[in-house]
Amino acid sequence: MAEKVVGKGIKRTEDPRLIQGLAHYVDDIKLPDTLHAVFVRSIYAHARIKKVDVAAAQKTPGVVAVYTGKDISQKIGPVPCGAAIPDMKQPDHRVMATDKVYWVGHPIAVVFAENKYVARDAADKIEVDYEELPVVLDEEKAADPKSPVIHEKIGSNIAYKLTAGEGDIEAALKAADKIVRQKIYHKRLAPIAMEGRGVLARYYPGEQELTLWTSTQIPHLARTQISLMLGFPENKLRLIAPEVGGGFGSKLNVYAEEAIMAYASMQLGRPVKWIEGRRENMQGTIHGRGQVGYIEIGCKKDGTITGFRYNVFADMGSYFQLLTPAIPTLTGLMLSGCYKIPAIQMNVTACFTNKMSTDAYRGAGRPEATYVIERAMDLVAAELGMDVVEVRRKNFPEPFGAENPFKVATGLFYDSGNYQGALDKALKMADYTNLRVEQKKARAAGRLIGVGVSTYVEICAMGPSPALPAGGWESATVRIEPTCKVTILTGASPHGQGQETSFSQIAADELGVTVNDCTVIHGDTAVVQYGIGTFGSRATAVGGTAVYLALQKLKAKATGMAAHMLGVDAKTVTFDDGKFTSGGKSVTIQEVALNAHLAKNLPADMEPGLSATTFFEPKNFTFPFGTHICVVEIDPETGEIQIQRYIAVDDCGKVINPLLVHGQIHGGIVQSLGQALFEEVVYDEQGQLISGSLMDYAVPKAAQVPWMELDRTETPSPVNPMGVKGVGEAGSIGATPAIVAAVVDALAHLGVRHLDMPIKPEHVWNILKKNKAGAA
Amino acid sequence: MKIEGTEKINATRERVFDLLTDPAILQKCIPGCEQMEKIGDNQYSAKLSAGVGPVKGVFTATVSMQDLRRPDHYKLVVEGKGQPGFVKGSGELNFVDDGGLTQVQYSGDVNVGGLLASVGQRMIQGAANMMSGKFFANLENEAKSTDS
Repeated sequence: MAEKVVGKGIKRTEDPRLIQGLAHYVDDIKLPDTLHAVFVRSIYAHARIKKVDVAAAQKTPGVVAVYTGKDISQKIGPVPCGAAIPDMKQPDHRVMATDKVYWVGHPIAVVFAENKYVARDAADKIEVDYEELPVVLDEEKAADPKSPVIHEKIGSNIAYKLTAGEGDIEAALKAADKIVRQKIYHKRLAPIAMEGRGVLARYYPGEQELTLWTSTQIPHLARTQISLMLGFPENKLRLIAPEVGGGFGSKLNVYAEEAIMAYASMQLGRPVKWIEGRRENMQGTIHGRGQVGYIEIGCKKDGTITGFRYNVFADMGSYFQLLTPAIPTLTGLMLSGCYKIPAIQMNVTACFTNKMSTDAYRGAGRPEATYVIERAMDLVAAELGMDVVEVRRKNFPEPFGAENPFKVATGLFYDSGNYQGALDKALKMADYTNLRVEQKKARAAGRLIGVGVSTYVEICAMGPSPALPAGGWESATVRIEPTCKVTILTGASPHGQGQETSFSQIAADELGVTVNDCTVIHGDTAVVQYGIGTFGSRATAVGGTAVYLALQKLKAKATGMAAHMLGVDAKTVTFDDGKFTSGGKSVTIQEVALNAHLAKNLPADMEPGLSATTFFEPKNFTFPFGTHICVVEIDPETGEIQIQRYIAVDDCGKVINPLLVHGQIHGGIVQSLGQALFEEVVYDEQGQLISGSLMDYAVPKAAQVPWMELDRTETPSPVNPMGVKGVGEAGSIGATPAIVAAVVDALAHLGVRHLDMPIKPEHVWNILKKNKAGAA
Repeated sequence: MKIEGTEKINATRERVFDLLTDPAILQKCIPGCEQMEKIGDNQYSAKLSAGVGPVKGVFTATVSMQDLRRPDHYKLVVEGKGQPGFVKGSGELNFVDDGGLTQVQYSGDVNVGGLLASVGQRMIQGAANMMSGKFFANLENEAKSTDS
């Protein structure tokens, strides 16, 4: 009997092509006669364009066309924003700048030439005359009526104001014995997918077919939006996301460059290609986070939380990209964390600034929520002199599930959870009690050791359609071919997550075939039925469920066919290990597959073929959770932060492939580590992006990443039949507060209660120095 | 970015002031300066090739000298742009007698944009120090050679 593979950590079927350099990314697709595009981008954060002189560029041998914003921005529809918030002010976001530039990197002109070198040289010859305007950079000051205004037509820099939450917050804070307040920064971060963006467009005028290869997480949604921007029939536009080298949310978007390349290929009658450089990527691909907020948390003397308020200024950047204004609303949804809090209120002021748009970056609004509630719990513990673990335990709900979902004061019903279980396991792994003893001893010996604990919950498997701008379902088609090879077409569009492997595992177990018999096709809108895409930790919980349900349909049909072939009643047929059996007779799935296609022996009421399609609409989100514990040691001489131990217990429901889950946890923790200690997108006071290359933007290096001690608990989700929850963002949500808490804890004896990210050695060193000076 | 420093030149204040307001001398002393043309009263158009590491190119700049008070002080305003980005800055120069020598005290604020800012920012201070070092060395030579 074949071994079941769901739950097994089998190696990714994607990897051999990736590690051998045999995969095909956009830039690996070469078409004859391709023109190469290079953009001229603004070097000012805010300026009026007086003149764009392209004459010299146009005359350069090898240049085929030069477009400025004035040439094309009215011929292509605006860059779409899918999010809507009541009374939201939305600037008209054209594909290129016409009269004004709004951020360093704003595209002004584009050159198409025979090769990229000519295009680059010609772009340098384009002269832009600017008239500088005052810049708006701080999301909090931007809201001030005295601030310069970015979008004159809107009249202020406030994109929207929103109040969210439930319960009587004023009464809740009044009922508190103590109220703890803290200002908290979430700096801008660059997603830094290993592969930047890239677009290749080809138009066949005879067939009137436009094909667009683009590095995206959402091939179908992008196709719809780009067809609308171009006024081009959607069914003649084929969008292909080939191998995509990571996205982290940055490719959950529709960008100007995609529509411009499509437009140019139709105008010029030749394929056109644009491949983003890293500096362009830092300037012109969305950033994440960008909030500054004020927390107020009320508590009783015993640690019981009475209410939580978060007043936050959210940095939109100068324009909305696809989901820009929606990100802070996700923060609002998750402010309860894994605690019983009777009243919660978030007041958002979302502001335009002269910077690149913010949007979804791994976690998208939820890391902010987890960070503020986790910091708040630590502050409460410090205020009351309680242990950080005890104050958490005090406010946990009892374990809950389908029968008794956990209702929080942000309006959500959490599907299932056992927060004590994950916490207990992590504490045991860390030997927490002993850690605290060791810490005390070390401190007495002059060593600075800190322990940080984060108990997080996240909202995943996005999500029910009513809660999402463009549908929250996912699609799958499963076909059994005549030779019994299994083809899975998924509307999710994995780009590094490994669903080619995990979806094959699901199919292999359901059909009694091997993983190698299955192939997963995704990302090509001409081949795959409409789908939503991969983001919000949804691919497995929603897309995988669609695969699972399509397989059930397929099995039902195959069972009927097998019964007919065996001459028995379908009710008597059992299917196991690829064999349909009834009363000692059996027929294999291979025989059924062939019969379904030869169609010479079918029941009267049965269609030929073996294919089933499902569109799965989830009834709720899922809510994975866990506990992360971080132990750091600080060098008292240099302020250097060393992570001594990192323990993570995550609960993402049922696990299909633990190796993939570990991979996601590892990656998420590393990105958290970056945010906590190193990463920060920095614009100077003129709005110049000075962290504009990987020399200056500090992504963690392998040597800075600690060994991670991982384990999990398993609380199945009642939202889908497989009980899976999603894990793509868990690490980037759960880890940041643990790391920050550990550093703060190491300095707690000096009166430190909070430090803003990224916590650099120089900050720590300054604190130590000041303290030394004070003590001396 | 702030630029400031003090340099000693072996000449009188009047001499140093004259050297530092003479476009021909400035062109000779500023590293990479290919051209310095008068375009108005105390206003010059300059062309210079400069760079920071791999970020280099030709800049065209307008240089104006304001608030001229021989031999004590003047203010220098520079606005330049080129392929690698733009440079904008202004600075005060004060000339102080130091026992027959002249102390040139300079302090200014410079903004840079474009490629220079996004790639070169970390290196600009170093490059600026190097350029000013060369400049004053050249000036010292100039003071000597024309002194005689």
